[in-house]
Amino acid sequence: MKLSKALLGAVLIGITAQTTACTKGGEPAPKGEKVTKGSEKKTPDYCPGCGMG
Amino acid sequence: MPAVPTAPAILSAIACNLDDQILTAALPLLAAGRVEAVEWSFDTLFNGQSLPNWFAELLTAYGEQSRLVGHGVYFSLLSGRWTPEQAQWLEQLRLLAGRFRFDHITEHFGSFTGQNFHTGAPLPVPYTATTLRLGQDRLLRVADACQCPVGLENLAFAYSLAEVQRHGEFLEELVAPVNGFLILDLHNLYCQLHNFNLSSDSLLALYPLHRVREIHLSGGSWEDSQVEQGRQIRRDTHDESVPDEVFELLERTLPQCPQLKYVVLEQLGTGLRTEASQHQFRQDFQRMAAIVEAGRGRVSGHQPNAFQPPASLPAGSVAYDEALHAQQRQLAQILETAASYEEAQQRLRASSLAHTSWQLEQWAPYMLETAISIAQKWKQ
Repeated sequence: MKLSKALLGAVLIGITAQTTACTKGGEPAPKGEKVTKGSEKKTPDYCPGCGMG
Repeated sequence: MPAVPTAPAILSAIACNLDDQILTAALPLLAAGRVEAVEWSFDTLFNGQSLPNWFAELLTAYGEQSRLVGHGVYFSLLSGRWTPEQAQWLEQLRLLAGRFRFDHITEHFGSFTGQNFHTGAPLPVPYTATTLRLGQDRLLRVADACQCPVGLENLAFAYSLAEVQRHGEFLEELVAPVNGFLILDLHNLYCQLHNFNLSSDSLLALYPLHRVREIHLSGGSWEDSQVEQGRQIRRDTHDESVPDEVFELLERTLPQCPQLKYVVLEQLGTGLRTEASQHQFRQDFQRMAAIVEAGRGRVSGHQPNAFQPPASLPAGSVAYDEALHAQQRQLAQILETAASYEEAQQRLRASSLAHTSWQLEQWAPYMLETAISIAQKWKQ
């Protein structure tokens, strides 16, 4: 399904802002430990649903 | 005036949640117009997290084309007790259904293990008149809240072969009064094929494929059993790419599902943190979409079923069963706290579940071991 360029642009900005906000608000990493972009954010745990997760 | 394009009979979709890893992986597909529908796990935001405008606009765009479906996770359809959380879940669904145009709403089979049955992981319940009554009553209430078709997904987990063999039939009995449908999760099916040494033809023959409106594809992982040396358990962890065997299952199953409307690729954001995994996600989607495209003309003729729920929905109090609740609490506590398989086995044999419809005497040891692992993984 075709999406408008405006909507796609908003999604891109939204993803970027969300990742940046999480990075800024995250706990400082221990010295020398590399933080993967976005990995410090708590992801909603919608995975258990199927029962073998 | 330009002609409005007609929607294909079967739509290739992604599970699209407010997760920057999933959205980053999916963005090139969205930009290319390849994603024909989206599935949103709407209740992951019931914990107070707000919905950004841009994400709401994305959902609205798909909803306006009748290409948005909702997939609940935390309702806990088959818990014995009816809780305030379930009532609140229905109210929030009612509000969301007024805001977004869902083409249908789905939930999972089972009952959650957590203290209030809305955290943890869903596990099976006995196939009895009691659980059937609870499930049928609550599905009608879900339909009343969302005012659209409702469906249930097959569970990956089972304690025994007998349970696997009756699952499809029991799902059909659950959804029949609400004229509901099934999500056939092919990776869940793949887990059962492997974990119980079954052939796909024999297992598919036990499912009401005429009621399948949605198919799920995902990946998973292997875990070594400690109680049965050499055995590996297939788990539906949603964190890896889709195995070849699951794509083959899609090719074989699709022509047998005359009411099929959505084929959805699901992957958890935690499995999409690298560029390589995001690239693989898009490859999996393209492969899935090609199978869907090729299969559109191969679905046999059928009488369309829109799966509209009945006009009359249940009046009066919600069904519940305190005895089932007590058993579920006992089981959840054993699974969440047992230090070993042997301890869990011993406590279960001494519990009120022994020699009842739970049939725990038939449970495969490696599946009880897996239940312990799942319950302790998702314990909060």
